[in-house]
Order: sequence, then C-alpha cells, then structure tokens
Amino acid sequence: MTGPTGPEPTGPEPAGPDPAGQGQPRPSDDPEERDPGLARERTSLSWMRTAISFAALGGVVLKENVFTGLVVLAIAPVVWQLGRVSQGSGSRTDLPIAGATRLFIISVAIVAVALLCLVIAIFGKAVPGALR
Amino acid sequence: MSWSTRLAALLPRTVARDNGGTEPDPRFTFANERTFLAWSRTALALVVAGLGIVQLLPPFPGVPSGRHLIGLPLIALGAVLAVAAYVEWVRNQRALRRGESLPVSIMPWILAVTVTGIAVIAGIVLLVSATR
Repeated sequence: MTGPTGPEPTGPEPAGPDPAGQGQPRPSDDPEERDPGLARERTSLSWMRTAISFAALGGVVLKENVFTGLVVLAIAPVVWQLGRVSQGSGSRTDLPIAGATRLFIISVAIVAVALLCLVIAIFGKAVPGALR
Repeated sequence: MSWSTRLAALLPRTVARDNGGTEPDPRFTFANERTFLAWSRTALALVVAGLGIVQLLPPFPGVPSGRHLIGLPLIALGAVLAVAAYVEWVRNQRALRRGESLPVSIMPWILAVTVTGIAVIAGIVLLVSATR
C-alpha cells in the first residue's frame, strides 16, 4: 500500500503496456457511466409513480362523483402504458424516443382533470365535516 | 415572434420535427423527462389537496366560502403547473439538443408565490372565523 496517490487521476496503474484492454476505456467509478440503463429504470419508475398519482386522485374524486372518478381512474393504466414505451426495444443503450406526444398527453390530461375537479368543487355537494 | 408562432412551436409534432443540434446524451433526455413527471405529480397533488379541502373539510364557522377560497386556487395552480411543466420540458430539450445552457425556470417562482398567497388567504379565513 502506498497510501493516497495524490493528484494523479488515473490511480496506481502499471506503467507498462496493458495486456488486457489496450485502447479500451477503463470502467468508470460512476455507475451511471457503466450502465445507462439505470437512468431508463429511474424514468420508468417515475412514470409508475405518476400513474399511481392519477389513481390516487381518481380515488378521491370517486368519493364525490362516481362517473368522474372512474374516468380519472381509467387514466392511470394509460399513463402506466405510456411509461412502458420508454423502455424501448430491449437494448439497454438505444436512444429514448423523445416522446413529446406522450408528455403532451399527460399535460392535457392533468389540465382536463383539474377543470373537472374545479367543476366538482364549485357545483358539487360538499359533505359537511367529512373529516371531522 | 407572434403568439400563434410560439404556440405552434410547442405542439408535439413541431417538437418531434426539431432537428437543430444533435440528439443529446440519453441520460439527459431521461432526466428532463423525469423532471417533467415530477412536476406533473406536484400538479396532481395540488389538485387532490384543493378538492379535499373543498369537499372534505368541515366548513369554517362564519366564513361560508372559506373552503372555496383556499381550495379553488390550489386546483387552478395544478392546471397551470401542468402546462408550465410541458413548456419547460420543450425548452430544456431544445437547449439540450443545441448544447446551450438550460433556460431559467419560472416554475419554482410560480409555486412559491401562489402557495404563499394561499397560506395568507388561509390565515385570514382562520382569523375571521375565530373572531366571529
């Protein structure tokens, strides 16, 4: 052990010719560099969380207006399915589809749901003291 | 640039046809998508909170419209954030393709100002209700 190697960024590499991987880049310390699939997985999980959020909102709306609640609940599996699109064709490094349409759909869906909720909140019959 | 041109630039078809610059590192595209999804969930949570306040809370004594004063702005803020998140995603993706620095986001500002305003409204409603 020679202790800290100082400012040398490459670490204690032997000075002679590298027998195994000449010309090949050394595996980086950043796990993201070694496996970009992690970013894909995080994004996939993010889509699932968004789908679950839609389901949760649907559950709340269901208490006030059954039809609207079912509509919102039906959005959740659609969002889940949209998220699976980003998993691509199976190759772990292929480019993601820059899905402007998918994100546009999410945005429009949230605005529509918010407008429905505004109508329910203004005209719906409030249960007095439902949380009391 | 006129308003219609700006709006047309946000349509998913226009965004997908954007071939200025080069396709960015897929990890950046994924990260941008996750940011959009995180804002979408924030918007959904605001809608749930607003609907819950209007429909489930017991009414404030002496302030019959108190629940609406607090809840309706929350739902509206959710709709605004959903649209802003999409606009932001388009701008970020554009900047990523061209290797420019990312545009400054106004969404945290919108969120902070509106939530502060709603908190002030809630405080006033509580005070008025307590003194009745």
